[in-house]
Formats: sequence, C-alpha cells, structure tokens
Amino acid sequence: MNCSDWEERIALHAGGDLPPTETAEVERHLRECAGCQVLASGLKQSLAWLKEAHAEPLAAAHFSAVRARVVAELEQKRRPLWRWAWSYGLAAVAVALLVMLVLRPGRTPVRRTPVVATNHPPVVVASEPVVPPPPHRRVARRVVRANVPDTSSGEPLIVKLQTDDPNVVIYWIADRKKGD
Amino acid sequence: MERMKALALLATVGPMDGPEGRSEPAGCSLEATKAGDLAAFELLMRQYERLVLVTALRLLGVLEDAQDASQEVFLRLYRNLNRVGASGNLSGWLYRVTVNVCHDVDRKRRVPAPVEDAAGLAALTADPQRAAVETERRRALEMSLRMLSKKERAVLVLRDLEGLSTEEVARALGTTEATVRSQISKARVKIRDFLERYFRRRA
Repeated sequence: MNCSDWEERIALHAGGDLPPTETAEVERHLRECAGCQVLASGLKQSLAWLKEAHAEPLAAAHFSAVRARVVAELEQKRRPLWRWAWSYGLAAVAVALLVMLVLRPGRTPVRRTPVVATNHPPVVVASEPVVPPPPHRRVARRVVRANVPDTSSGEPLIVKLQTDDPNVVIYWIADRKKGD
Repeated sequence: MERMKALALLATVGPMDGPEGRSEPAGCSLEATKAGDLAAFELLMRQYERLVLVTALRLLGVLEDAQDASQEVFLRLYRNLNRVGASGNLSGWLYRVTVNVCHDVDRKRRVPAPVEDAAGLAALTADPQRAAVETERRRALEMSLRMLSKKERAVLVLRDLEGLSTEEVARALGTTEATVRSQISKARVKIRDFLERYFRRRA
C-alpha cells in the first residue's frame, strides 16, 4: 500500500475520528514509516495551533451588542401594531366621513349666482338700439344701471328703468348685503 | 480542549446552561419565548450566543460580519420557534442555520475580508516577541482556513473547533458521516500543507 493511501486515515487519526480497529492499523504503519510520522506530527501540530488560536473567549461586549440589536429589531417589529393603531383608526374614520358626505342623499350642488361685477367704476350700460315695442307693451324698454356703488361698502344698488314714456322713469333700489 | 468539549456536549444535548453558567434551562426560555416573552428570548440568546457568534466568527473571520450573521440567526430562531421547539435539538438547528447564514454573508461580501481582521480571537500577551510569533501564526492559520472550500471549512470548524462528533456534524450540515470524514481529512491535510509551506518560506 502506497503512503498516499494512508493520508486520509492518518488525517482522521490525528483528530481522533477513527474506530479502534483502524486506529491500531494506522499506528502500526506509523511505527514503520518515517514519512507518515512527519505527516502525522504536522497534522497534530496544525490542529493544536488551530484550536489554541480559537480557544480565546470573545469579549462579553461583542455578545451583548448582538443581543441588543436583535432585541431592538424585535421590539421595532412588535411596536407598529400598538403605535400606529390610533392612526389607522383615525384614517378609517376620515374615509368613512368622506364617503358619507359624498353619498349623502338629496345633496345638490350649491351654485353661486353670478355676482354683478361691481368692482368696476360706475358705468352706464348703453343698451341695444331701441326696437319699436309692440303696441300693447307698456313696460320699461331699457334698463340703465346708474350710480352703481361699491358693494363692498354695503350701499344700496340703484337701477334706473326707462320706459317708453320719457316722463316716466322707474328707479329700483335694492339693499345689498355686505359681501354680496 | 476540555472547555470546548463541555460546551459542545451542552450544545448537543439541547437545553443547556449559558456560557456564563446560568442555571435557566433553555426549555423554559423556549416555552416562555413562544408565549411572546421578549425577556425570555433574550435569556435564550444568552444561552446560545457563544455557540452562534463564535461559530460565525470562525466561519467568516470578521467580527462585524459574524455579528451580522448572529443577528440574522437569532431573528430566524424567533420566527421559527415553534418548528425549532418541535425538533427538540435547538443547538443542532442553530449550528445548521449559522452555517447557512454565514455562507449567505460570505456570498454577499464584495470585498474579501482582510486577514488582520480575523484575529478577533487573538490573545494579548505581555511578551512582544511571543506576541509577534502568535500573530504570525494566527495570520497563517486564518489564511489556511481561507484556502478551504466552504464545506471543508464548515466541517473543520464544527468538528475540530466546536468539538461536535462526526455524526452531529453530518446532521447539522445535512450530509452523511462518510462525506464529513472525507471533507475533514482533506481540510486537515490542506491546512497542514499550507502551514508547512508558509513557515518553510519564512524560515
């Protein structure tokens, strides 16, 4: 048997991994073979160095650092349920309210009536050319807004109505609420 | 050596005392942790942290990476408490997961760790000459470990440094005893050959 065939068994023998029968065989060979003795002693020496180098204990701080990181991560994973429960509830209520508002029965959109542009300086609107009225009509033909005040001041709105009869002029005075 | 054997024995029989001699059995911690007790889980970590962190350091050679791996192992333990409890062999499970997580960390590592960082277990000695020799030897040992394949290194760490039996190593790594014996012998010969060449060149 070649010495290289003994290599695996000698390596196992160096770590005490051989059953007794094989151990006896290897030891018998080692007694007879100087080359394998060198191999066996080298294996035992390197194993001893390896164990010695790794036998030193680690500092306690290294362990506690890991522990702290794990506990912190687990606490962080646990917390959201409690920490964010109120915000999830609040969001649900807000959504519910929004849905109720949108689906409220009989809701009609509020349309603002167009506001007479009163921010401009008072003007007299020239009406269209006078069209001859039908004979039965006796109401005003032209509407002239006059003396349009600044509504922001709350002054009344005065509308001058001209009729067919130049002697008859109708003034319509309307109180306006402030802000209209 | 005796200390290693004792720790390995404690680790393989399941419930065990912590590295600092705590008397709380792991079984109690495990049950309390399953019930959601974070303090009990912390106690469980104390009992197995040496097993996980030291194994990770021996496999990765860099303390920071080993700590990252240990954190991941314990988080996996927390997520799988029911399954682990049912298996009844917490230390075996921890060894297996530690090896797997370390392989993942090693795969993701973009830059190979410098050998100097691997001296996480180095002892400080008062004699500067002896310290230099020890540092050199540790450096060579770490380099030799890096020459091994992942599987060879895992087998060597579990068998020769953690002190597990061949059968326990095979169970932890999900392989056969014959494979473990083959890998461990190759790993030992490679380390011996490397160290011989290294110190012959230095001499």
